[in-house]
Amino acid sequence: MISSSSRLIGAVEIGTSKTVVLAGEVTRGRSLNIVGVGVAPSRGVMKGEVVDYKAACEAAHHALEMAEHRAGARLEEVWLAQTGGHLDGFYNEAAVNVKSADNTVTAMDIATVCELAKEKELPPGRSRIHEIRRPFRLDGRAVPDPEHLTGGRLEVGYWIVHGQENKVSDNIHVIGGYHLEVRELVLASLASGSLLTTAEERTHGALVLDIGKGITDYVLYRDGSVVAAGTLPVGGDHVTNDLAIGLRITTAQAEALKLRHGRATPQTRDKSDKVWLNGEMTFGDRQIPRVAIEAIASARIAELLEVVKRKLAPKFAAEHCGAGVVLTGGTSKLPGIEEAAARVFGLPSRRGEAPGWVKEELQDPSYSTVLGVFQFGLRNSHDQVLPVRRKGGLLSSLGRIFA
Amino acid sequence: MPRGRSWRSIRQEVAAPALSRKGRKRRHLGWLKAAGVIVFVAAGAWGGHELARSWADRPALASAANKSRLAAPVLITDGVITTDWLGRQLALPPSATLMSLDLVELRERVLAHGQVKVAVLARDFPDTLVVTLQERTPVARVRVQDGGGLRQLLVARDGTVYEGVNYSRELLGSLPWLDGLALRRQGDGYAPVAGMEAVAALLATGQTEATWLYRDWQVVSLARLAAHDEIVVRMAGGPEVVFTRRQDFYKQVARLDFILEEARQRVGAAPVRVNLALGQHAAVAFDRPARELAAAEAPSTSFRLQPSEKRASRDLFQ
Repeated sequence: MISSSSRLIGAVEIGTSKTVVLAGEVTRGRSLNIVGVGVAPSRGVMKGEVVDYKAACEAAHHALEMAEHRAGARLEEVWLAQTGGHLDGFYNEAAVNVKSADNTVTAMDIATVCELAKEKELPPGRSRIHEIRRPFRLDGRAVPDPEHLTGGRLEVGYWIVHGQENKVSDNIHVIGGYHLEVRELVLASLASGSLLTTAEERTHGALVLDIGKGITDYVLYRDGSVVAAGTLPVGGDHVTNDLAIGLRITTAQAEALKLRHGRATPQTRDKSDKVWLNGEMTFGDRQIPRVAIEAIASARIAELLEVVKRKLAPKFAAEHCGAGVVLTGGTSKLPGIEEAAARVFGLPSRRGEAPGWVKEELQDPSYSTVLGVFQFGLRNSHDQVLPVRRKGGLLSSLGRIFA
Repeated sequence: MPRGRSWRSIRQEVAAPALSRKGRKRRHLGWLKAAGVIVFVAAGAWGGHELARSWADRPALASAANKSRLAAPVLITDGVITTDWLGRQLALPPSATLMSLDLVELRERVLAHGQVKVAVLARDFPDTLVVTLQERTPVARVRVQDGGGLRQLLVARDGTVYEGVNYSRELLGSLPWLDGLALRRQGDGYAPVAGMEAVAALLATGQTEATWLYRDWQVVSLARLAAHDEIVVRMAGGPEVVFTRRQDFYKQVARLDFILEEARQRVGAAPVRVNLALGQHAAVAFDRPARELAAAEAPSTSFRLQPSEKRASRDLFQ
């Protein structure tokens, strides 16, 4: 039973391989209790983008219904994890001279510089997803809150994440097709990063990679703030496809081989060490050298990590990333991927682990993003990332009834 | 300078065809919930309005009820009592107001008359007393000798003895007299007659099933009822009939009809006493000696009731 002071919110991730829904009871906008889970294999989604509306709806609505059924109540709103290769970001900075006679920074100075930093026109057909503010700089020194401090020049920068409007709206309409409203849109990489890193790690600098089936979400933190975040249209599928082409097998067989024998770093040296393709000793089954599987998988993983590194190139520096690389997502289960990441980025790497408050059954990396959506949303609902929302009154409560 | 659209400006509502079956179901449930809330709120508002109105009207009504002189009482009854009788019984003072009436006491006054079985008194603001009555129906009458001389009283099915009011002469004339009972005084009247339930059942059976016999039932004696479960009915110009309450009155009345008919048609003699309280047998005493009857033809052992009352002969004698 959901109490009157709480809302039942669904955190939804429409992924390439599966759609995950968590139903969470959020009380007074702060405390969270996960009360329902729904997972359904995705259909009609490629590289995190909806390509078949009906098929995507069918899978997503099944997961939503499952979560509602387990929660024993109807979801009131949805916080949606946004991903896809169409997402991009840029950094924009602005500076103003402090206007007061005694050089004390006022709220108006702060508002002006923030507005200026966000004022950058997007290409046609693009929509803003996030405007993530970095710390203010007052006469060159970083300050979290410059109000009432003294200085001459106030600077601020925003990391602005934007996506193709029609693709964002496709995702939103999948939820709309279930007669639900999307109240928050959270970049999947920010969600995962928020869950899998501590504030201390973010201060020291950390790179979080969420490697899914079709895409890889990344977020780079430095000094506690997001330096870069985005999505690349490469993922575990590339390993599968190369295995299928290189070994001349079907995609399903390649996927099974990857899961059974794939490694992100080669380990086998014995060329005579072979594994059965199907493992069923049936007609058509044959033996494949383990070296070949590992060589293909490790090459593709290294390539994927290199792509990420190249994308981050101007902003990424190993010396500013003390907390290392944190890996999550389905493909991060590939053995040896930590070593591969460590080699490419020159940093210690580890698989991300959900915090202690997460129940054991939700510790799997596939829940990282949706759990992160909750954590990010709750942490930032009164912060600079998400716009301030009005408190719900009687009218909004009545409005929710009609939802 | 334009900053580009935010995702929040994307229209979220989807057209009805784009809703999935589950989405449509959710939407309909939402509508249903909304309709329920609207009905609930409307009902609450209406209830509140009515309550407020009744509170607003109450002082005015109470004031009027305290000041206005009482109008003539309104009578609602299922019997024959009239407003005049009610007025006399209530004996309300001319200066009485509606709020000054003691309804409990007035109800006692009305119920003091045996003809009234149930009485409900209600105030109809600002000045009217509404009296709703349920009356007793008489099943027999009895003649008593007391301080007021020789009087005719009526007896209801539940044994209540009372002086009837406003009954027609025809109705009273059709009621049989009761005999063989000792009336006991109780307050201003008499205690209820014991065993009247059985007597009323017998009379009702005669009245509805054999009207031609009931017409001649002149006196009903209860003298043997308590001791022998027998009710003796004396018919005008006919025999004295003994009924028993241990058997079905319908069968007994049918047998009486048969005996009287057979006696008239075949024996040609008039019975002076018929005893139906002997189980499967009946004792019949005739007004002539037995030897004159010996020559008469024996009656048939079976008979028919009127077409509407056809029943197997075995049923009647069981």
